[in-house]
Amino acid sequence: MFATMLAAIIFALLTAVSPAVAQTGLDRRELNVPATLVAESQQVQPGQSVTLAFVMNPKPTWHGYWENPGDAGIGMSFDWKLPDGVTAGDAQYPVPDTLLISGIMNYIYKGDYAVLVNLAVSDQVKPGPLPISVKSEWLACTDEVCVPEQDELFINLQVVDKDVGVSPNNAFNAYREALPRPLGSTATFMVKDDLFRLSIPLPADVDVEAPYFFIKEDGIVDYGAPQKVNRDGDSLIIETAARGDALQNISGVLKIASNMGFSLDASGGEVEMSGVPLSGGADSGNFTGGGDQSKASLLFIALGGAIVGGLLLNLMPCVFPILSLKAISLAKAGGDETVVRRDALAYTAGVVVVATALGALLLGLRASGAAVGWAFQLQDPRIIFLLLALVTAIGFNLAGLFELPNVNFGNRLAQKDGPAGSFWTGALAAFVATPCTGPFMAAALGATIILPPIAALIIFAGLGVGLALPFLLIAFVPAIRSRLPKPGAWLDSFRKAMAIPMFLTAIGLIWLLGRQIGTDALGLSLIFLLLVTLILWWFGGGQMKGLSRGTWATSALIAAIFGGVLFLPNAEAMNEQKVASASSTTLPSEAFSETRLSELRASNRPVFAYFTADWCITCKANEAAAVQRQETADAFANANVAVLMGDWTRPDPEISKFLEKHGRAGVPLYLYYAPGEEPVILPQILTISTLTDLVT
Amino acid sequence: MFYKFAMISIAAVAAMSAATPLAAAQKNGAIAQDFKLTDMYGKTVQLSDFRGKTVVMEWHNPGCPFVVKHYDSGNMQATQAAARKQGAVWLTINSGAQGKQGYMKGPAAQKLSKDQGMNADHYLLDVKGVVGKAYAAKTTPHMYIVDGAGKLVYQGGIDDKPTANKADIKSARNHVTAALGELKAGKSVSVAQSRPYGCSVKYAS
Repeated sequence: MFATMLAAIIFALLTAVSPAVAQTGLDRRELNVPATLVAESQQVQPGQSVTLAFVMNPKPTWHGYWENPGDAGIGMSFDWKLPDGVTAGDAQYPVPDTLLISGIMNYIYKGDYAVLVNLAVSDQVKPGPLPISVKSEWLACTDEVCVPEQDELFINLQVVDKDVGVSPNNAFNAYREALPRPLGSTATFMVKDDLFRLSIPLPADVDVEAPYFFIKEDGIVDYGAPQKVNRDGDSLIIETAARGDALQNISGVLKIASNMGFSLDASGGEVEMSGVPLSGGADSGNFTGGGDQSKASLLFIALGGAIVGGLLLNLMPCVFPILSLKAISLAKAGGDETVVRRDALAYTAGVVVVATALGALLLGLRASGAAVGWAFQLQDPRIIFLLLALVTAIGFNLAGLFELPNVNFGNRLAQKDGPAGSFWTGALAAFVATPCTGPFMAAALGATIILPPIAALIIFAGLGVGLALPFLLIAFVPAIRSRLPKPGAWLDSFRKAMAIPMFLTAIGLIWLLGRQIGTDALGLSLIFLLLVTLILWWFGGGQMKGLSRGTWATSALIAAIFGGVLFLPNAEAMNEQKVASASSTTLPSEAFSETRLSELRASNRPVFAYFTADWCITCKANEAAAVQRQETADAFANANVAVLMGDWTRPDPEISKFLEKHGRAGVPLYLYYAPGEEPVILPQILTISTLTDLVT
Repeated sequence: MFYKFAMISIAAVAAMSAATPLAAAQKNGAIAQDFKLTDMYGKTVQLSDFRGKTVVMEWHNPGCPFVVKHYDSGNMQATQAAARKQGAVWLTINSGAQGKQGYMKGPAAQKLSKDQGMNADHYLLDVKGVVGKAYAAKTTPHMYIVDGAGKLVYQGGIDDKPTANKADIKSARNHVTAALGELKAGKSVSVAQSRPYGCSVKYAS
């Protein structure tokens, strides 16, 4: 005891003096990737564990390495000096980045990052100071040079009695969120004919942005080779060059977006390259790397694809009605060939400028953070609602309920003789058409995001050119123009008929919205939609009587749409909705929280707590086979078992901590608390009898 | 329809962006790729000229801390001397590009070689990185052994302690010395492949 105290005092003294005194002789300020050791809580209770973080702050241009550094470099090492009764677990690394330099692949961290280690304190450890010391070595590199660095880090923890509260450091929530989340199920891999293939079970509705598989074991894959990724239903298949060594089992991290990934284990088996390709290589950063002939020609192919895509956009149900009318107006614009051509070119310029500007806005929004792809945004029900209101309004406009003042504005400018008018008509057309195509273009837009900005902008511009192509054809090929019907009374009927595809689009959006937010919230959003329609009707009625209700209608419209957006659930609420709807399932459950658990236990009720996530196939299989079964529900109801469900689909620090406390880094976890007894951890594969036997 | 077009074009763009800069690695058991390089005296050296002898290749960058570990401690020089004593030829190859860390012209290499007491038969300059890439040399040091029949029998690290700490050399298994010993005894190389460690080779991009 005395010795521990003495050691503690010495350590306290050592940590109190300047870091230059550290035994390595290294001044911490001189390090390129300095490390700081932080504890989640200064106090720890006997029998509990405490998480330490090595917080690494690379200087600009410097980087540190993942546990498998790739082709070159070295991971971190830890040499612990721990008091008796304290053991250190494995280091947990955040999701790394790739850095490819002249074909040599490095698995690295560029910005600040934290490596976590759990210290288990045995229940034999007496209250008092707990000095922790660790000598760590790591490699710090820039793109040009590497410097091996090391430091001796100290931290003095305090062992406290079990009844003393422990206050956690909230920074650890962010550190944990950066860690890969364990995938519930096992992947399969194959090494054959110089190819490495990995099939990862990943539900189809999990968004994957720029997937990359970081393998932990060396000698299996060629790190520098590109990774081909296919998506086939509920699996993601990755193919890359193998290096030849064979192993029974491998492990690694599947990165699906920046700072987001899953850790997984894989065992040997057969893997076929099925499904559709997601991307041909993760390192799109090389793309603008210089005037390589083949690169330029391939950008040409991509641009060609975009132009054809833009052309096809003319046929989209909500674009066609607007644009076909524009085409006819252009055709009737006048007999003068040069005027028609000039107007068509100006119109094209308007379309291209707006399409590119919208693309730039999109890229800018993405670059400014939030780390969410466009596809992600479209899953936000509020965006869908906005599109729904827009499509409905356009539909009623075509049907003749009211005249769009914006179009009048555009027409007024268009009537200003000259190209300026046509330019603004084109800009307006692209502006109305582009967001309207959103839901149909989600995948394509998502794909432009993996491209470097310049290439993505060129593709957006290409979409604009494609969109304007029919008008260019009408203007420059007189034969087509002469075949267009002359405007007349039929045009009005045609316009009204064109409302039908718009309304069909609206129905599609309603269906989509309903799937996202459930019938209750959908009902609410339809009421807002009705409000929007009534305002437009009232506005149109005013137009017929020659009354100007523009100002009132506009403010009322903004209020209605804003209200709709405000009252619609956001992503977080959607999750709650899902938990709430769980009460209507076979085995009703409440959302898990530690407070609710202790309440239930205090009231002497048996509790079944389970932790699941949408992307965890094992969890879903167990739920289908054992949890959500009538037999289970009946048995639990008879025994008055309370059911708590923890949804870990999105990162939740409370659940992460709880899982960690039970020795699990991931879901599924099934716990049964008999009244007054320690919890039983159930197996990862459940059967109905596993559950019913608990209560009989 | 639109999806298809867009996805195909995007896949094409993505595919080209991932062109493999490094040539396929040499395989153990296969005949090692022949090459010609200029040494630090301007003399041309060809691998196939050494047919009949065991050849050790060492990738080198004098500025890399891991290379420094093995030269400052005398470990690399001792390994070179032992190899040559057994009749093996030692080629030290520098694939550092001009302007990158470790790049040297002939005279600088001669001085370094003398100052450090290097025992290599030849110090070869691979400024364009052609040979380095043909062998997929990734780190400095990165070691390769070619047997008398011209077959590649070892590729990987100098030893099994991937640190920059000289103190670790004593307790490490020197893969090159071990492989040369096994070859000498007419045995096959027991550890024919290991993970190379060190700094990345500073190729011209």
